[in-house]
Amino acid sequence: MIRAALTNRALVIGLALSLIFVGAALISFIWVPQDVGAMDIPNKMKPPSAAHPLGTDHFGRDILSMIMVGARTSIAVAVVAVVIGMGLGVPLGLAAAARRGSLLDEVIMRGNDLVFAFPSLLIAIMITAVFGPSALNAIIAIGIFNIPVFARLTRGAALSLWTRDYVLAARVAGKGAVRISAEHILPNVTNLLIVQGTIQFSLGILAEAALSYVGLGAQPPIPSWGRMLADSQTMISLAPHMAIFPGMAILLTVLGLNLMGDGLRDLFDPRIRRDRR
Amino acid sequence: MTLLQIEGLNLAIHDYPILHDVSFTVAPGQIVGVIGESGSGKSMTALAVMRLLPDGARATGRVILDGQDVVHLSEPELCGMRGRVMGMVFQEPMTALNPIQSIGDQVAETILVHERVSRAEAMERARVALARVELPEDRFPLTRYPHELSGGQRQRVVIAMAIALRPKLLIADEPTTALDVTTQAQILILLKRLVQEDGMGLLMISHDLAVVADMADHLVIMRHGRVVEAGPSPALFHRMQHPYSKALLAASTHQPDRAAQPQDTPLLQVQGVIRDYATARRGIWGKPGTFRAVDDVSFQIRRGESLGLVGESGCGKSTLTRAILGLEEVQGGTIQLDGQPVFTGHKPNRAVRRRMQVVFQDPYGSFNPRHRVDRLVSEPFHLLDTPPQGTARDAAIAEALESVGLTPEDRHKYIHEFSGGQRQRIAIARALIIKPDLIILDEAVSALDVSIRAQILDLLADLGDRLGLTYLFISHDLSVVKQVTDRVLVMQAGKIVEQGVTADVFAAPSHPYTRQLLAATPRLPEFENT
Amino acid sequence: MLRYVLKRLVSLVISLAVASLVIFLAIEVVPGDPAAYMLGMNAQADTLAALREQLGLNGTILERYLSWVGGMLTGDFGTSYTYRTPVAEMISERLWISLPLALYALTLSTLIAFPAGVWAASRRGSAVDMGVMGVTQLGVAIPNFWFAMLMVLVFAINLRWFSAGGFAGWEQGIWPAMKSLTLPAIALALPQASILTRVMRSSLLDTLSEDFIRTARAKGLTRRQVLWRHALRNAMIPVLTIIGMQFSFLMAGAIIIENVFFLPGLGRLVFQAISARDLIVVESVVMLLVFAVIVVNFAVDVAYAAVDPRLRGRR
Repeated sequence: MIRAALTNRALVIGLALSLIFVGAALISFIWVPQDVGAMDIPNKMKPPSAAHPLGTDHFGRDILSMIMVGARTSIAVAVVAVVIGMGLGVPLGLAAAARRGSLLDEVIMRGNDLVFAFPSLLIAIMITAVFGPSALNAIIAIGIFNIPVFARLTRGAALSLWTRDYVLAARVAGKGAVRISAEHILPNVTNLLIVQGTIQFSLGILAEAALSYVGLGAQPPIPSWGRMLADSQTMISLAPHMAIFPGMAILLTVLGLNLMGDGLRDLFDPRIRRDRR
Repeated sequence: MTLLQIEGLNLAIHDYPILHDVSFTVAPGQIVGVIGESGSGKSMTALAVMRLLPDGARATGRVILDGQDVVHLSEPELCGMRGRVMGMVFQEPMTALNPIQSIGDQVAETILVHERVSRAEAMERARVALARVELPEDRFPLTRYPHELSGGQRQRVVIAMAIALRPKLLIADEPTTALDVTTQAQILILLKRLVQEDGMGLLMISHDLAVVADMADHLVIMRHGRVVEAGPSPALFHRMQHPYSKALLAASTHQPDRAAQPQDTPLLQVQGVIRDYATARRGIWGKPGTFRAVDDVSFQIRRGESLGLVGESGCGKSTLTRAILGLEEVQGGTIQLDGQPVFTGHKPNRAVRRRMQVVFQDPYGSFNPRHRVDRLVSEPFHLLDTPPQGTARDAAIAEALESVGLTPEDRHKYIHEFSGGQRQRIAIARALIIKPDLIILDEAVSALDVSIRAQILDLLADLGDRLGLTYLFISHDLSVVKQVTDRVLVMQAGKIVEQGVTADVFAAPSHPYTRQLLAATPRLPEFENT
Repeated sequence: MLRYVLKRLVSLVISLAVASLVIFLAIEVVPGDPAAYMLGMNAQADTLAALREQLGLNGTILERYLSWVGGMLTGDFGTSYTYRTPVAEMISERLWISLPLALYALTLSTLIAFPAGVWAASRRGSAVDMGVMGVTQLGVAIPNFWFAMLMVLVFAINLRWFSAGGFAGWEQGIWPAMKSLTLPAIALALPQASILTRVMRSSLLDTLSEDFIRTARAKGLTRRQVLWRHALRNAMIPVLTIIGMQFSFLMAGAIIIENVFFLPGLGRLVFQAISARDLIVVESVVMLLVFAVIVVNFAVDVAYAAVDPRLRGRR
């Protein structure tokens, strides 16, 4: 398994990229090149140099440091949103599959359809309109949108597992739906969930960036990649580096996670070659 | 004169050899049967003739069809031959047709691809082809879609597509394996008739010696990618030379020795059982209908008896199995094991359930791939109030594995480390571990190659004798039921239409449906057992 | 077919009813008194009462909900508190930018994705396929608003081919208006086109490995003929699903992209309304977008039936 993993190029590159950004976020807790709270107006909007490898922003803050600290926000929001989506979506999907065709199944599936009609941006708009903007909004909005994603995936996979003879054998052994879901269904959908988890993680990072960019996500002074891009917009002709580096950070993180997801899927199931939507 | 001449055909897929020096011929109007177990290379031989090989396959040798060497033809030349000179029918009729194109269009396409004719003329000829395969237009309009047809009807459409241009060679790869026995008989008769009418050669691939023996003029027996024996049928049956051919024939007609005599006390009593299913509601406000899958079924199994239950797909035998196992509640009647009801107060009765177990058909889908054998085999312990722990559990697992011919060390392996036959042994070990009285064998040997099947049947007979087990043997395969059961039930459309001592029912069936089933069952020619 | 469409129609109406209830409850009921919220801390008692009257807040929750829904059905979305103009008017004005933008992007995305997906699938494993997969891998990962900013930098600021933002207005004629929507539409379309290309490719490859493709090959069809005559239409079913889902992402994405290009569409409207605490406008815009998504998905369901005879039911 590990040897197979190392020969999978997408997986290795994806894992490396993802680890760089997760590592940057973790390192930022103990060390950053320059304090992101400290402004240095005389040195504002400086292009990359030895002192500031990625240049400085409109307050003279070090962009590399900002990106490292901003990675925390992105990763935290996306991870929590995936946890919310899995935590609620997977049990719902398992329950719907275990009671296929029942009222419960119907309610869960129609509920899912309904949530799908609300892109996370709309949920964030509604929450912000009522409670004001915050990073928490982004987490809730993206998390809610993740629920039907995981519920559908789990239900679909679980339905096909429920028709397997080994589930019938477990029923003959007197096991109930909850026990069968835990022992036989869930372990056989985990691979799928891990793959989908990395994909939703990457989509969450994109969504968080977009929400912060329009001011519905993380608020200043919390550094976030989307916020940095919003700040850079009016100065893009004067200081293009302010826009380019945070954008590259988003692009490379998302690319890394997607490659990792593709690689994991090939690793788990080399026969099935599906491409992500 | 030969139509197809295969000479020294070798085939490798990604340098992994599949076929070795395969040679045989097919003459016009001749039916050649290619027989082999899984992995014998019989299907690859067929695909090599069509040159529809999977990516990475490389063939060498000569495959001369109608004067042309197929191995060396270019792709455009092959496209010109496929459908016109050679046609092919596949195993799985349910997926062989394009689901979103009407059957008329699909048959007409064969004609339109090869001949410059108008669409109207192609449709007219498609109509004729469909009528020839007994799908007349007044009952099966050309505008029908595949999902509106049964499996047998779909296979007829596939045949119509293959013969629409009256090809010289028809290749049929397990054309009836996925079908019920009565449908199989009809398709075989149809193929025979088409061969006679058109004088085409038929290359018929099958795992079932009896199916081919009935049909073929000439037999080719393959194993591990080689032809082991070939000759005219049925003469070949009388003078088989190769040990593998002999073993294959012996396994096909294998009769396990069963010593135990059934006792007079009934073990399982099924009385007037009715099982209804709700069907989809008609329209949005319509009422859901009901479908009666099991209709007033009554029978009993005596202790130590082996009872067969035969019927075609959809007859209700699986539903009946689930009701007996207490997985689903019945709408009428009673099921009792040793006088105890399987269901009490809308709940399955654990005390009864732990006395019966089941072995399923599919050796690959019967086990959770993430559990080790010890966990798989000990799953029925869940039915016990105090399941054995520690060494007692280990001992029970070891005993169960040894009783089916495996070793106690196999407990640490995962299921993918075993072959199909070994998996079916593990399934039997799982059934045995709580020492049940009744074991339901739900098509338990249907997916196995004949030689493995013979071994499993022997094992079951031996276990039955040693442990005093009672079997309910459910199968669509009448020849197996004949070999291993004392009595037999025949089920049709939810009802038991005939029951009796197996030998009597097979010798003198009283119900027309039983007669129909028996007539449709392919039989090996009579020959002296040496 | 008719029964199928009717069934979908019923479920469309139910979805709309439930969605409207969710939006109504989330925005008007959960936070307490919307009038007090909208006016802020220092509201005068009489202004508050007047606003409550204007918002119709004095009825029961059910009455308020029914009058809101009833109003929308007759085209009355209420009156904006901050602008003192009917919300319906404001929205329809903005819709003339946002809707063409989303449709423009959807068209671009489909026009790119179909040939690219078919091309990659038909040459699976070739350099073309690898190239398409590599580009789409990037396209999926790129944040569209950042891509939009880069395009502004290159095409508007450096090359001066396009203006950096703003909208020419339809009254200037179609071309100037379309031109000002072109960069936004490309920015919106790129990630969606990448996703759609990948779906198209994988769906085609899945279909090409099905049994009926082999049957068609046995009839003498070439690989090409099989692809166009049999695989493509069967492969459309998952592709349609994604196109339906993309519409909702495009509507939402348009809101963000409008920000980059300073387009006076629904996105600008909704952000202004949020900062002005104009809940009526927010509620109406959200409802409108959700309505669009649900209706488009209904259209996709009907399109399924046109492609797949199995859904039309037995005759």
